Amino acid sequence: MTATVSDNKAAAGQAADHRSGKYLAFHLGNEEFGIQVMKVREIMGVQDITAVPHTPRHTKGVINLRGKVIPVIDLRLKFGLEEAPYTQRTCIIVVQVKGDHAPTLQMGIVVDGVSEVLNLTAADVEDTPDFGTGVETRGLLGMAKLKGKVKILLDIDHVLTAHDLSTLQAALR
Amino acid sequence: MRREWEARIDSVAAQFVLGEAASVGPAAEALAWIRQEAGREGWDEISRLAARIAERMATSPQWHTEGALAEGLDKLRRAVEAATAGDAAVARKPNELAQDPGLVNDFILETRDHLTSIENDLLTLDREPSQPEALHSIFRSFHTVKGLAGFLEFDSIRALAHEVETILDLARNQQLAITPAVIDVVLESADYLKQEMNRLEAGLSGAQPGEAAPVGGLVARVQSLDRPCSVAALPDPLLPPAAPARTDAPSSSPEPPAPASAAAPPPVPAAAQAPGEKFSVRVDTQKLDHLLDMVGEMVIAQSMVRQDPELAGLRSPRVTRNLTQLSRVTVEVQKTAMAMRMMPVGQLFHRVARLVRDLSRKMDKPADLDMSGEETQIDKTIVEELADPMMHMVRNSLDHGIEPAGDRLAAGKSGRARIALRATHQAGHILIEIEDDGRGLDRDRILAKARGRGLVGEGQTPSDNDIYNLIFEPGFSTAAAVTDVSGRGVGMDVVRRQVAKLRGRIEIHSEPGKGTVFQLKLPLTLAIIDGLVVGVGGERYIVPIFAVQEMFRPTPEMLSSVKGQGEMAMVRNRLLPVVRLHRRFSVTPRTREAAESLFVVAETGGRRFCLMVDEFIGKQEVVIKSLGEGMKNIPGVAGGAILGDGRVGLILDLEGVYGEHALA
Repeated sequence: MTATVSDNKAAAGQAADHRSGKYLAFHLGNEEFGIQVMKVREIMGVQDITAVPHTPRHTKGVINLRGKVIPVIDLRLKFGLEEAPYTQRTCIIVVQVKGDHAPTLQMGIVVDGVSEVLNLTAADVEDTPDFGTGVETRGLLGMAKLKGKVKILLDIDHVLTAHDLSTLQAALR
Repeated sequence: MRREWEARIDSVAAQFVLGEAASVGPAAEALAWIRQEAGREGWDEISRLAARIAERMATSPQWHTEGALAEGLDKLRRAVEAATAGDAAVARKPNELAQDPGLVNDFILETRDHLTSIENDLLTLDREPSQPEALHSIFRSFHTVKGLAGFLEFDSIRALAHEVETILDLARNQQLAITPAVIDVVLESADYLKQEMNRLEAGLSGAQPGEAAPVGGLVARVQSLDRPCSVAALPDPLLPPAAPARTDAPSSSPEPPAPASAAAPPPVPAAAQAPGEKFSVRVDTQKLDHLLDMVGEMVIAQSMVRQDPELAGLRSPRVTRNLTQLSRVTVEVQKTAMAMRMMPVGQLFHRVARLVRDLSRKMDKPADLDMSGEETQIDKTIVEELADPMMHMVRNSLDHGIEPAGDRLAAGKSGRARIALRATHQAGHILIEIEDDGRGLDRDRILAKARGRGLVGEGQTPSDNDIYNLIFEPGFSTAAAVTDVSGRGVGMDVVRRQVAKLRGRIEIHSEPGKGTVFQLKLPLTLAIIDGLVVGVGGERYIVPIFAVQEMFRPTPEMLSSVKGQGEMAMVRNRLLPVVRLHRRFSVTPRTREAAESLFVVAETGGRRFCLMVDEFIGKQEVVIKSLGEGMKNIPGVAGGAILGDGRVGLILDLEGVYGEHALA
């Protein structure tokens, strides 16, 4: 176990360079997050979402994205945060992720609001601190400190395709 | 130095652009130079590549249309670039071409096309041995496959194709009669090539490719064909044709001497092909799907513009006229885009033709196959999915339906059986019929068997139709003997399931002593579904129309609730279970009172039930869309569709909706 953790750390250290670049910053409640701009296809306001039965609570349903039907995930619910009513500021970020089976797939994620595009250098990004055993940190690329505020950088591929992220919420607090 | 190389390659490339019109001379010269220079530099791969391109150009009249050859030239260009840049390692890598997935994939696609036409032509030839056009076409196909295989160094394929080509060449020159034995061996060779294509394809998709299947035996059999020459007066057919004039291949090349056929009269050039031949373009299905998505969006956008209240407020005849024109064009574009998914059903029929030929000889039941409506267009997916069930039904017809020739003569029928395949359009559907003139279904025997297995109670007297349908029950077979062809009682149930999966229906008509007809009624496309749009709460769902029996508002006296059995409704003297859709899908309905809701009587898997919904919104043709990864197997949901206002509605899978009811 210890070995794996330090391996991960080593790998994360090497990845530091890859983590620099442009990030789209958004927020859920008071928490700020960032996802790589490369992964983002578009940002749209909340529209009618068709509910799909027998799906997990965080799956809000499906929408029509220019002729394609894509699933929409509520990131608050996915992270085990409290559900919030959708407002004018609520957005759907359409991301392109690598799936388990399909090479790439598009998904929408509902967030409280989008703030800006950040340009991060390797120096801005720090490794995710060790939260101790039982805390899932694979969905996190690292932390960015900007103007005294911490932004959590998400590995969106992993966040959206992992089945259980309930342990991630511990890291978010 | 490098400029010199590039100039030579450019001159070959120019030949490709000019095509047949230009003489091959300058290109051959350039290639010879490249080969020689590469040989001196020790760049084996380049010299081998140049040799093969030169040979291909010399032997194939259609070289300039062969995609693989053009790509080979690109390859040569890159190899030369790499080599002249001092990185000779790339160029020296052995058999680099066969490692190039793009080239190999092109080769597989091209060869498969050829194999399909080879099979069709062989069957034509089997019926009419004196058809020169079919023979020429088979020859051309093998010739092309041989050339490409040689180019990519697939030696077993090249060797086999070469032998078959030699035999066909003899036949072309009237030195060998086309006997069924010849056709058998050529068909077998085509089968071998098919297998090899599958193997290569598996290799491309990352699987361990494995070794090529041994081809020696087959090659020997092909070679042995030219011995029993039936036209004795002609010059010695055993004498191999003279080898073509050709400079020596570089010593490092593993290639055997030039193909013997190169000396044969050149194959009929493309210009001699049947007039009116249609040209087609191979399109990536993803691109096609994208086009369909976009066209769907265009239709929605168009209808939104048309229904825009501000535009309607203008009351301008000109705007109205233009909008009408726009919608007419949009509909036409949509239809055309849809038609691109369609292909003629003939391809499916030709596969059956091959089966009938093989089986009728194997079982010694001479049979002729009549086909009509081969040009009928049907969704590509349906053609692919229908192949197995069709094969199975034809196999059954030959095995069980058609009597041995002796019995047929005794019954006053022709000794040769007749099997007919027909395809016709019928009101938005396609009807495929498989008819045989055999003994017909044995009603009494099926019934006896069904009673024995408890499928039919002793007192019951089912209708003929019900009895015939029993053959679709799993494990049902009346065959006295199990053969390796059929009789194990697996199959007809699979056929029915497969046809149902394609949203089709199957019917049987049979007359004792006269024969049996299987009728398959299938939708034209799987991409579109006729749906009934219903609303529950704020959500809208689409019920496939083919499953809808009737719709009505229930009265309180129709309803009853059986304890532990759930709700039931009396519809036309039948007690049907009621499924509340809002409860299945956990949505908040507008009403929970059955008498205020609406019922849709739906049938799935032979069972009927009432689906309770809030309202009917209308009937609509919708394009079926997948909900995407992770949402594939949701019980009760078959997919999504984009409705007229651009929102997504879910298409119900009634089996799932009802199946859950059984569990609840």
